[in-house]
Order: sequence, then C-alpha cells, then structure tokens
Amino acid sequence: MTVRDSLIPQLRRGVLEFCILALLRETERYGFEIVRRLTETDSLVTTEGTLYPLLSRLRREGLVDTTWRESPSGPPRRYYHLTASGHEALKAFIAEWERFRASVDTVLGTT
Amino acid sequence: MTTDPIVRDYLNDLRRAARRLDKARARELQAEIEAHLQEAIPEDASEAQVRNELERLGTPEEIVEAERPAPPPAAAGIHEWAAIFLLLFGGFIFLIGWFAGLILLWSSRCWRTSEKWLGTMLIPGGLAAVLPLIAIVGSAQTCVRRNGITVRCTPVSGPLPVWVGWLFLILVVAGPIATTIFLARRARTPAALR
Repeated sequence: MTVRDSLIPQLRRGVLEFCILALLRETERYGFEIVRRLTETDSLVTTEGTLYPLLSRLRREGLVDTTWRESPSGPPRRYYHLTASGHEALKAFIAEWERFRASVDTVLGTT
Repeated sequence: MTTDPIVRDYLNDLRRAARRLDKARARELQAEIEAHLQEAIPEDASEAQVRNELERLGTPEEIVEAERPAPPPAAAGIHEWAAIFLLLFGGFIFLIGWFAGLILLWSSRCWRTSEKWLGTMLIPGGLAAVLPLIAIVGSAQTCVRRNGITVRCTPVSGPLPVWVGWLFLILVVAGPIATTIFLARRARTPAALR
C-alpha cells in the first residue's frame, strides 16, 4: 500500500470539514458555492458529491446552520453559516493545526 | 437539465444507492445533488460537458458511502474469513452455511458492492453445488451385468463427450476457489481506503 492510497485520503477526510468551516468564517454560502470553492484548490477534494454528506454531518453536529434564500435564478438555495460552536471548533483546529504543521515541518525539514 | 437522459440515469442510480439511508436524509441528499447539477450544467450543455460534471461529482455509490458516520477503516478480521470459508464450504451444511456466508459477506465493510455481487453470483452454494455435477459426470457409464455381477463398464457417450463434462467440472470447481482467493486479497485493504 502506498502513501497516496492510504494516508492521503484519511488526512484529507480529517481536514476537509475544517476547510468548510473556514470558508464560512466571514460569510454564508450555498452548497454549490462551497463545493466549487474547495475544488479550486488542488488535491483537497476528489469527488464533489461526497461533500454534501459532509455538510449534512456538520449540520447534525451543530457546527453550521442553514437558511433557505431565494435565488436570482432558479429554485431557492440553502445557505450555510457558522454557529457559535462552529466558530469555536474552527479556532481550536487552527491553533492545533499550526502546532502540528510546525512540528511536522521541523522533522521533515520542509520549512 | 434533469430531462437529460444521462442525468436522469445518474439520479435514478443515486435514488437506488440511497435506499440504505434514512428516508428523510435520502430525499434531502437527492435534492442537494439535483440542485448541484442544476447549477453546474447549463441549459445548452453538450453531452461531454454533462459527462464531465457527473464525473466530478463522483459515483452515486461513493456519495452514499460518504454518508456513513466516519467509517472506521476495518481490516479483514474473523468476520471476513468466516464469510470466505462459508461461501466456499458452507453449502455442505445444508446450504444454511452458505446463506450465513452471504450475510457475513454483505455486512462486511471490507468489500465494495461490486465485489460482494461477485461473491454472491458465482455458483450459489459454493463447492457443494459441484457435488451433483460430479455425480452426473462420474456416473455416465453403462455396465454389463451377468448373473448380478458387474462384468464391464463403459462410459456413455451422451450428446457431449465425457471430456467436456470434466472440463466443465474443473471450471466449476476453479471458479469459486478463484473468487474466494480474490475476495481474500481484496479484504486485506478495507474498501474505504481503496
């Protein structure tokens, strides 16, 4: 089993939900917008459709909440925004991530 | 957009795959994917464009798979080995063993759906299904009896030569064995990580 086969998908899965939270830090966004923003960055998302289950989980966990709004074109859209506990989770992750990244970079010599 | 036959097929596949989800969530997911496609595919999209968008989305199977709460990547354990053993030999236990093997196969997280179908379709009953065949091929002979004592036996040349029967038999025995070896190898890496 190579690194790409096993480790990277697991890493991606773990980090992705916080990337979604980060996208919603400043503004609310609708599903398709979140999906396309994430796929603009390389290697974060391989299959767009799997983001919708992830969004639904974040909602169940109370990290995001949704509101339906009229769309200028087509049917109404569901907009996602961060809840208070979503903001908190994101803040905690960012602090954790910075420490983690610094440690790994130091060991790998990739700073 | 949803009238495009390719999209309609995709959405039908999704509906089928989502049956194992909670009903409300299945409906919601269907609506989310439909809304996504509505945004992603312009009204006058070419077939290539449609196919590209569907490919970016991933297969319905993958999407439904992602609904499972944080799948612990299970490696093959007793569960999987029992499934393989029972699929191969469970038919000898009044077929019940084979059915038990099927249940274990389908409840495992180590195989993909396509692999589970392969395990299911290949010679129901496993090796036990072969026994009647052996009996048929083996008994295809006539014997000359005199005064109740068998004097000479010669193979019957039926519509097919006997060697065809044996060849078929070998294939039928090799099939389940090859399939279970394949399943055993696949089970070493959990489906979630493949």
